[in-house]
Amino acid sequence: MTFLKSISLFVDRKSFVHDIDPITKLYYILFAIIIPIILPSFTISAICVGISILLLLAAKVMRKTLPVYSFVFLVLITVVIIQGLFRPGNETVLFHLGPFAMHKEGLLFALTIALRVTNIVSAFMILVLTTKPSTLVESLVRKGMSPRIGYVIVSVFQIIQEMMSTMSTIMDAQRSRGMETEGKLLTRIKAFIPLLGPVVLGSLINTKERAMALEVRGFNSRNLKTYLYEEKTFPYSKAIQAALLVLTIFAVAWRVFL
Amino acid sequence: MKKIVVEGLKYKYPMTEELALKDISFEVEEGEFIGIIGKNSSGKSTLCQALVGLVPHFYKGAYGGKVLVDGLEVRSHTIADISLKVGMVFQNPFTQVTGSKMTVYEEIAFGLENIGLPREEMRQRIDEVLKLMKIEHVKDHSPFDLSGGQMQRMAIASIIAMKPDILVLDEPTSQLDPAGSEEVFHSIQDLSRQGITVVMAEQKIEKIAQYCSRVLLLYDGKLVDFDTPEKIFSRDDLKDYGVTAPVYTRVCKALGVKKQRCDVYPVTLEDAELALRGTIK
Ligand SMILES: Nc1ncnc2c1ncn2[C@@H]1O[C@H](COP(=O)(O)OP(=O)(O)OP(=O)(O)O)[C@@H](O)[C@H]1O
Ligand SMILES: [Mg+2]
Repeated sequence: MTFLKSISLFVDRKSFVHDIDPITKLYYILFAIIIPIILPSFTISAICVGISILLLLAAKVMRKTLPVYSFVFLVLITVVIIQGLFRPGNETVLFHLGPFAMHKEGLLFALTIALRVTNIVSAFMILVLTTKPSTLVESLVRKGMSPRIGYVIVSVFQIIQEMMSTMSTIMDAQRSRGMETEGKLLTRIKAFIPLLGPVVLGSLINTKERAMALEVRGFNSRNLKTYLYEEKTFPYSKAIQAALLVLTIFAVAWRVFL
Repeated sequence: MKKIVVEGLKYKYPMTEELALKDISFEVEEGEFIGIIGKNSSGKSTLCQALVGLVPHFYKGAYGGKVLVDGLEVRSHTIADISLKVGMVFQNPFTQVTGSKMTVYEEIAFGLENIGLPREEMRQRIDEVLKLMKIEHVKDHSPFDLSGGQMQRMAIASIIAMKPDILVLDEPTSQLDPAGSEEVFHSIQDLSRQGITVVMAEQKIEKIAQYCSRVLLLYDGKLVDFDTPEKIFSRDDLKDYGVTAPVYTRVCKALGVKKQRCDVYPVTLEDAELALRGTIK
């Protein structure tokens, strides 16, 4: 079950990217989405992707991005092939793939899409790989998100993890009694399904008790909440946010006047 | 000063036929250590939850009578308000883990963050309760990686850190070994001596006899008796209520040895020893 054991992708490293506060990273995602919309050129998107990849490299988390990128590329390649072969308005034939012809228009269109998707995925990965989920949620709660929603998000992460470990404990017990839990996918699924009932049901019954335990710990208190940890701040957060804003305005101006 | 006043409390869970609490009245003084005993389903947990307002606010259901904790009427206040005065530790330590914190230290901070305690005081209180409950060595572990006993200590620590005037505990040592239970009872007794009023539902009768100032005996949702451990455990009809007296009491009863200069049987090892030595001389 190790593949599910950690559902958070966070990689704990020391880097300036890790030190940047989550809110600034959220702004960066927004920026990476908006800029290619304002300036739809191929070069601009490529530059954005380049910046994100440099940041991922600086954060020393490039290895963790590979599975994500591979998955994304797998999907995108299908898009490229289909668009290149069949996009309406395809005229210029580049080369032939068996009975089909690959066209320049479709290919370019698909490559632009691919670049934009890669761009957004890269920006998200900077956030996800370098920020603990709990830190992110806490920053959002400080910015005014409801603590209840925050609690639900963080606890879902934790409780799924807890369920996974219960599950692997039971699986270990079954294996030691001779049940097959490894090998072919079907065998694994067969071993897995009977566990879902008790584990999920158990977690649901626990929900009521957990809700009571939260109540008596002042979860619904109207007092102004305080935080054990000081808010994570990065000395250049404001500067980065300002720079992102200026660049966006610049992009709009470019689009309008040139 | 009266810390807890319960007057004619009646309560029925929603969608049930029978009352879970039937016309219960009693009063508790500041700094007392009260034990609640009774067989399974006699209403111990329900009574505990009535003191923090989970009954009736969390469950709803039919409610009659009055519960005052530190002058606050439970019925007309929210659980959040009451929880500033009354802390409650539940039976199952696993469901008391919030599930939103990565370490034991942060877990204990959860309640303190909610009530808006300044950071400095938070840290000071957490360090204090970690020491009191002897879980300093696991403060950076994940709450889910603790043993049952350690989790139970953490649950108690999390509530104590909120510094309630009244501490309600529902079988708080079920996961602890005998030595661990002893330690926890000791720590709770310390708190009680500092003036905190303690109410504890517990099956470990010897511990109740040793630590409690008074014992409340429940049977089928009714209050049978509320008196000193000696008086309660000297009752001849205990069996009818599904409760057994501490082993020391049973031995002395069998031998017909009463506590010196009293009309009750001893309930602790020390008293039993004294009484028995007295007869030998
Ligand atoms: N959530 C609930 N809904 C309906 N009925 C309940 C609920 N909780 C308890 N009861 C009922 O109320 C009565 C008292 O239960 P309670 O849990 O208070 O007993 P208890 O003395 O704590 O028992 P135990 O020793 O098993 O902990 C029982 O008859 C029980 O079935
Ligand atoms: Mg109970």
